Parts: sequence; structure tokens; C-alpha cells
Amino acid sequence: MAMEAQGGRMPFFYSPEGRLLQVDYALQAVNRGSTTIGLKTKDFAVLSSHVKPTRNLLEPAEKVFVVDEHVGATGSGYIGDVNSLVDEIRIQAQRHRLVYDIPIDVGSLARHLGQYLHNFTLYTVRPFGASLILAGVDPLGIQLVQIDPSGTTFRGNGFAIGAGSDEALDVLTKGYREDLKLADAIALNTRAIESLNGGGTAIEHGVVTRDTGKFAHQNGGKAPKPSTPKTN
Amino acid sequence: MTTTIGITCSDGVVLAADKRASKGFFVGSKAVNKLFMLDDATAVAIAGQMSDAEYLVNLAKAERRLITLRRGYPLSVHESARLISNIVYNGMKSYNPFYVELVVAGVDGEGPHVYTADMSGAITSEPFMASGSGSPLAYGVMEQGFRLGLNLDAGKQLAEQAVRAAMERDPGSGNGVDVLAVRNDAWREVA
Repeated sequence: MAMEAQGGRMPFFYSPEGRLLQVDYALQAVNRGSTTIGLKTKDFAVLSSHVKPTRNLLEPAEKVFVVDEHVGATGSGYIGDVNSLVDEIRIQAQRHRLVYDIPIDVGSLARHLGQYLHNFTLYTVRPFGASLILAGVDPLGIQLVQIDPSGTTFRGNGFAIGAGSDEALDVLTKGYREDLKLADAIALNTRAIESLNGGGTAIEHGVVTRDTGKFAHQNGGKAPKPSTPKTN
Repeated sequence: MTTTIGITCSDGVVLAADKRASKGFFVGSKAVNKLFMLDDATAVAIAGQMSDAEYLVNLAKAERRLITLRRGYPLSVHESARLISNIVYNGMKSYNPFYVELVVAGVDGEGPHVYTADMSGAITSEPFMASGSGSPLAYGVMEQGFRLGLNLDAGKQLAEQAVRAAMERDPGSGNGVDVLAVRNDAWREVA
């Protein structure tokens, strides 16, 4: 009876060891996702994500997202969860523009996402099975933040999430230097992802630089051709 | 109050507006900007309650950025006009009307367009349009001076001429003219 209450009926309570099992499982879901990396220096940040094009006829999914002009995001875990988290922060970025007339700073955006995720660890709901890495510029400079399903935020110069993230982080740690050039950083991210998945892997990159103040897809992204719908 | 104008030309659109903000029979400001860019290809001219109009413009900007990010390409001029008119219509139906009359002008894949959206949520489109208290006077000038295939330079001239004519006889308009042009190739940079 006690076992059932702990493991089965009330999975959102603490386990006897003091763990939140649902949150632990969510982190495991993230670790099953595709390898995803964020790297920053004081001049730029790069987000890179392994895209799984498993079949010839399949269009690869979008993995690096523009959140607002100056902020980008990538994630690992359940893609549906990643998409809905990205939408949440896109809306928050626009809300901030409406209220304060200026682009949101990355810290506020990360805090909002952390609080949003944390809410799903308190009640009888499934926490998001996704971690995000945000990269952006604001008055404090280039920012890189990782946010986990628990709502925990991490700041730093390099992050790796998803399958094989420990190994990828090893490659990053060994190759990282503060004076890294943009091309070298992209090459380092590529190397870290390819060390796990082999060469010729499809990788999507997004870059934000202090010079431009803009976040943009490195390889053009995958925007469809513009057309004007006929109405009236 | 106010006179605002939008004119479609062969190579883009022109917007023009006067610079007066009225407070009853008093000139509240002589240096108001009534022309706003929503992005590099779409612009609006505002008339009516300034607070309502500016809020509406900011709301439309935010909604457009979200839609553009989500679907991957920007809104056409018609979509922008409809977006604004839906917001205004919802306001009217919930007894919180926006006291505005807007000219939405821009270029998209189909070329240049001019729309007006009023506080009831109706939108209409014609090659040239005017709004605000000075619009009947401005229309008189444009009906005489407009022809299809007008280029941007001629369009700018006609727009300024029409606003100046309205400023002569409409006490709600005056204190100078702003003119803004959007070229056809702006759409390719945005999309």
C-alpha cells in the first residue's frame, strides 16, 4: 500500500530519498533527445543541434528557433514540448516589448521560462520533457543559459544536452578558448556532435553576435517561400 | 482631427500626415509623428485618439512578429489590415472601442496596397485613401491629381499637396507634413 502510494498513485510527491521522480524522468527524456549544444564567448554565441533526418522523403524538423530579434533557442527532448516552450517565450518576449517598449533581456526571459517550468513540478501534471538553451544579446552582453524541466537555470560558456551530452561536453571543454573565432566555434560544435553521430550529420546552427545584435540561422533556416493568400 | 493619406504608386506606396495633435480647440502639440513602420515593408498612418492608435500599432507589431516567427514569412498588407481590424472590431463589440481611423499601407508579393481601417473594424482598399477630419479636402486634391501608374516621386508630391490643401481649411490639421515611402523591393528584404 505504501509502495503504491509512493511510486504509483502519487508520483508527483517526493520519493523517500527526497527526489521528485516525475522531474527525474523528464530529465531522462531530455537525455534521449538529439545532441544539442550552446557555446559563447564575449563576442558571440552559437547554438547547434543535431537534426535527425532519418528518411529520404522526410523533411528535417526545425531545431534552432528565433525567439525575438536578439534571442534564439534550441532544445532537446520531446519536440512537441520544445515547440510549446519556444512559443511561450516568444509570447513573453513580445509582451515585454508591449509593456516596456524595449527588447527583453535574456535573464528575464530565462527566469520566466524557469518559473513556467517550475509550475509543472508542483501539481498533478506531467513536467515538460525538454531542456532549452537560450542565446542572446542584451545590455549586459552575450548571454547563454540552459533551462531544465525542473526550472533550474544555468549560466555559462558552454552547454550540451541530449543523447551523449557528457561526451559532447568533454569535446567542448577541451576545445574551448575565450578568444575562439566564430568559425572555430561552429567547427568545435560540429566536431562535438559528429564525435557521437559520425561525420556527415545534419546540424542546424544559430548565431548571435554582439556586432549585429541579431540572432539568425547560420544555414538560412527553413522558411517556406513567401506567398500572399488571396482573400475577399 | 488629423489628415492622413496613402497612395499606391508603380514602384511602392506613399504615406503622408500632418503634425498637429488637437486638444479640443487647443493645439496640444505641433510636432506629432503619425506615421509608423510595422516592419520594413508595411506602415500605418494614425488618426483619432493618439493613445488608442499608438497602443494599437504596438499590439499589431507584437502580433505580427509572433506570426512571422511561427510561420516563417511575414504578413501581407491585407493580412496586417485584417489583423488590426479584428482587434478594433473586438474592442467595439466589448464596449471598449478604439477611437481610431488608420491607413495601412505597404508592399507585398502582389505589389503596393493601401487600406483604411475604421473604429468599427471595417477595412476598405482603393488605389489612394485618406482618413481623419481633413480627408474630404485631401480626397478632392487626390481625385484631381491621381492617375494609375504614378511613380513614387510624383506620389510623394501629390500626397504632400493633398495634406497641405487639407491643412489650409481643416482646423484639426496643420503644423507641417510628414511623408513616408515604401519601395516595392522592401518586401524581398523582409520575406
